[in-house]
Amino acid sequence: MSDDKYESHIKAVLSECPDADTDEVRAAFIKYEEEFYIPPQDALRSIIRRFQSDQAPKSSNMSSQQPRQTKKVALLSELAATDRDVEIEVEVVSHNLREQTIRGEQKQIAFGLIEDNPWEDGATKTRWEYKDWGPNTNITPGSIIRIEGASVNEYQGRMSLNINQGARVAVLREGTRPVTQPGEPIDISDIPKDGYICLVGRVLSSRDDQIHRKDGSGSIDVVRGRIADETGTIGFLSWEPFSHEVGSLIKIDGAQVKTFRDTPELNFGRTTKIESFHDANFANVEKLNSQNMKSISQLTDGARDVETVVQITEWEKRSFTKDGEERHLWSGQIADPTGRCRMSAWQQLPIESTDLPVTVKLTGVRVRAWQGIPDITVDKADQVEILSSAPWDGDIDLENHVVEVGLTDIVNSASRVGIETSGTVVSVREDSGIIMRCVECRRVTRDGECSFAGCVGKVESQQDVRLRLVIDNEDVTASVLINKDAALKLMNTTENKMAKAIENEGQMEYVQSIRDYLLGRNLIVGGRTIIDDQGAMILADHAEISGDDAAMLATEVRAKWGVN
Amino acid sequence: MQPARSIKRQPALHMFASEYGESTLSEKGSGEFDPSFVVTKIGSRVNRVVVAGLLERIEGRDVANGSVIYQGQLRDPSGINYFSVGDYVSDSVKDLTIQLSARLESGEPILILMIAKTRLYQTDEGAIYTSLRPEEMCVIDTQRYASWLAKTSQSLMERMSTYLSSLDYDSNVESMAKSDLSEQQVLGLVASRNHYGDVDLEHYRLNVMQALDIAEGRLEAASKPAPQRQLVEETEVKDKEVEATDDLESVILDIITKLDQGDGVEFETILINAEARGFQRSVAEEKLEELSDNGTVHEPAFGWFRLV
Repeated sequence: MSDDKYESHIKAVLSECPDADTDEVRAAFIKYEEEFYIPPQDALRSIIRRFQSDQAPKSSNMSSQQPRQTKKVALLSELAATDRDVEIEVEVVSHNLREQTIRGEQKQIAFGLIEDNPWEDGATKTRWEYKDWGPNTNITPGSIIRIEGASVNEYQGRMSLNINQGARVAVLREGTRPVTQPGEPIDISDIPKDGYICLVGRVLSSRDDQIHRKDGSGSIDVVRGRIADETGTIGFLSWEPFSHEVGSLIKIDGAQVKTFRDTPELNFGRTTKIESFHDANFANVEKLNSQNMKSISQLTDGARDVETVVQITEWEKRSFTKDGEERHLWSGQIADPTGRCRMSAWQQLPIESTDLPVTVKLTGVRVRAWQGIPDITVDKADQVEILSSAPWDGDIDLENHVVEVGLTDIVNSASRVGIETSGTVVSVREDSGIIMRCVECRRVTRDGECSFAGCVGKVESQQDVRLRLVIDNEDVTASVLINKDAALKLMNTTENKMAKAIENEGQMEYVQSIRDYLLGRNLIVGGRTIIDDQGAMILADHAEISGDDAAMLATEVRAKWGVN
Repeated sequence: MQPARSIKRQPALHMFASEYGESTLSEKGSGEFDPSFVVTKIGSRVNRVVVAGLLERIEGRDVANGSVIYQGQLRDPSGINYFSVGDYVSDSVKDLTIQLSARLESGEPILILMIAKTRLYQTDEGAIYTSLRPEEMCVIDTQRYASWLAKTSQSLMERMSTYLSSLDYDSNVESMAKSDLSEQQVLGLVASRNHYGDVDLEHYRLNVMQALDIAEGRLEAASKPAPQRQLVEETEVKDKEVEATDDLESVILDIITKLDQGDGVEFETILINAEARGFQRSVAEEKLEELSDNGTVHEPAFGWFRLV
C-alpha cells in the first residue's frame, strides 16, 4: 500500500496543525484505515482534532444550540406574545392566498382566521388571524388541523399566529382518516377488541344455552353460536331470542364486541338489529366450515367451538379428589407442523400410551391457556375422532420439531411453543446476569426478600442466571428471556466466572460488557412465546449469534438490489 | 383481529447519517404517551435508530443547573450523526460516555454502535437539526462495524424501494391505501412526500455502494471520491478546489436565503450551518467575509447578514 494516497489528506491536516509531524499524521491515517475501516476522507476530522488537541488547550466554545421546549396548548388564550414553537389544534375559518414581495422575490403567502377549541360544539371559541409562510397546501377552510412549530406575533395589541416555513401542519379532520359509518359492514378479521360493529355473515352453528346468575337468583336463556364470513369466524352470544337457522345469511347491526381472555365474541342485545341478507356470491356453509379449521399456531385463550387436527405425542391419566369424590383427568402434549401445546380431557379417550403418536381430529373443543401455552380442553369423548394417518408429512418428528417463524409473525400471533426466530439485539436490560429467586415461588427477590404475598417474610433464595434482552426486526420488537444454560453458552462462560466478574466489576459494568458483546448483533432464539397485552415475550432455551459475516451480507445486498 | 391499543416499544431502524441528518419533519401524536417520530425524505417514520461509526468528538458542557451535557458526533461513510447525553440517561450510558470522552482525548480511534431515540429541534432562527439520544451503546470492532454497514445498506435499499413503489400513487392516504404498503408505511410516505416534494435518491445509492465496499474490506474503492466524480477525473485538482469554494459560497447563500425571516441571519448561525454541511469554520468565516466585501451579502446590523 503506497503512502502517497494519503498525501492530500496529510497536507490538509498540516495546514490546520502546522506543528504536527508528517510521519505521525501518516501513521494515524494508516491506523484509521487498516484497523478501523475508516477511509482517510472520513478520518480527516478526527485526526485534525487529535493533533489540534495535542497543541493547544481546548477552548470550549459550544454555541447555544439549546433546544426549545414545544409549548402545547389547547386554547389560543393560553398563548403569550413571546411564545415560539407552539403546538395547537384549530379549525380553519378562512384561507386566502396573496402574492407578496419579500426581499425582492415574489412569494405566495396565505392568511386568514383560525378558531380554537375545534372539537367541542357550542363551546366558547376564540378567533385569531394567522399567516402561513409555507404556504401549506393542506390548510383548507373547514378543516381541523394541528399546527406544530408556529410562533405568536403581537402587533398593536392584536395577537396572531405565524405558521413559519419550519412549522408542520397536520390535517386532523377532512377525509384523511377513513371513518367507518355506522351500518357499514366490516370483515370479521377487522373486528376490534371492543366496540359496536356491523357485520354480514353466515350462521355456522347455533344452540340454546342458559347462563346462571352467580347470586343464584335464577338463570337467563341465551343462544350461543358461530358466524363466519370469508375472512374468519367469530362466536356470538345472543341475550334475545335468535331464530336464524344454521346456514342463513344475516346482517347484524349494532352488535357489541366483548373480548373474553384473548378471544373476541359478539353480543346481541335489545338494540342489535338482525335481518336476513341476500348475496348469491357469499361463501356457503361447507366452505366457511372448512376455514374454521385451526392450526395450533392459531389457537387463542378462551376460544370455543374449535376444530383442529393434531397429533398426541404424550398422554397420561391423573387422578384427584374433589368434594370427596375421586375424579380423573387425562392430559398430555400435542403437536402439529405449526407448533406444540397441551391437551386435557375430562373423559377417557380410546388412546393407550403404546399407540402414540396418535393423530386425532377434534371438534367443538375449547381452549384455555396456562402461562401462555394453549391447552385444548375436551369435555366429551365424542369430540375426538381418531384418524388413521396424519394430513401432513408423517415423517416429521413433531415431538422435537422446531418451527422457524419470522419475528413479525411471532408478535402478531397467539402464544406458541417450539418456535425459533431471530432479530437484532437492541437492548440488554440492567437486570441481566445473576439474579436471586425465591425458593418457594421462583419469583425474583428484591433486596433478598420475596414480594409475593404468599411468601412474605421468607428470605430463602436461590441463585439463577438469565439474560433479559429486546430483539427487533425493524418492524416489531419482542422481549427475550434467556434461561441459565442458554445464557451461559451464549456468553461462553460459567456461573462461577460470571459471579466473579460481577463481583469484580460491579453489576453495571458487567451489563455493559454484555452490551459490548451483543448490542446490534443478530440473535437466533428458540423456545416458547407469551403474547399478551404487555407485548411479546420469548422464553428462550437456546440462543446463538448469527449472520455476522459482513462480506456475505454485502454480497447478498449487491445481488438483491443490483448495487455494483 | 386488531390488537388492543397499548404502548408498544417502537422498533429501531438501521440508518445512515445522511438519511437521518437530512430530515426536517417530525411527527408527534396528540396523546400524552404517543411516540414521536422523525420522518426522513424517503418516508421512514423513525422513533429509534441503530447507528454506528467513528466517534469523532465527545465533549461535556456545563449547563445552568450544575449538570453536564455531553455532545458528540459519530461519523459513518455517509456523514455525521450528532448526539447528546444528558442527565436523563441511565447511569451505565453516562459512565460509558465519560470513559469514552477520556479515551478519545488520548487520540485513540473508537468505533461505536448505539441504539438511540430520534429528535428534531429548531433554533430560534428556524433552522432544523437532527439529534440523537443514546439509550444503549457499546464499543465495537471492525467486524461488527462492517456487519452494521452491510445491514444498514440492506435496510436503506429496502426503504428506497418502498419509497419508489409509492410514487405510483398520489400522495394521500386514500390513494396509497390501494397499494400493498402497510398503514405505518403509508403514514410516513404521505407525510414525507407532502413535506419534501421530489427527492433525489442518487446520493443514498452512492452511500450504499461505499458502505458495501468498506463492509467487504475494499477500502481502496471506498477511499476514492464518490463515483460520480470519477467521470471528471481528468479535471485538475486545482479545479476541484475552486469547485469546493464555489460550493461553499452557494451553501452560505442558501443558508442565508432559507433562514432569513426579515432581519437577516446571525453570524454564528451561518457558521454552525456551514459546519454542519461539512465546511471548516475558519474557511466559512473567511468566505462570509469575502462575500460581504464583494457586496454579495450585506450586514444591516452588526453580525447579521442578508442577501443584497
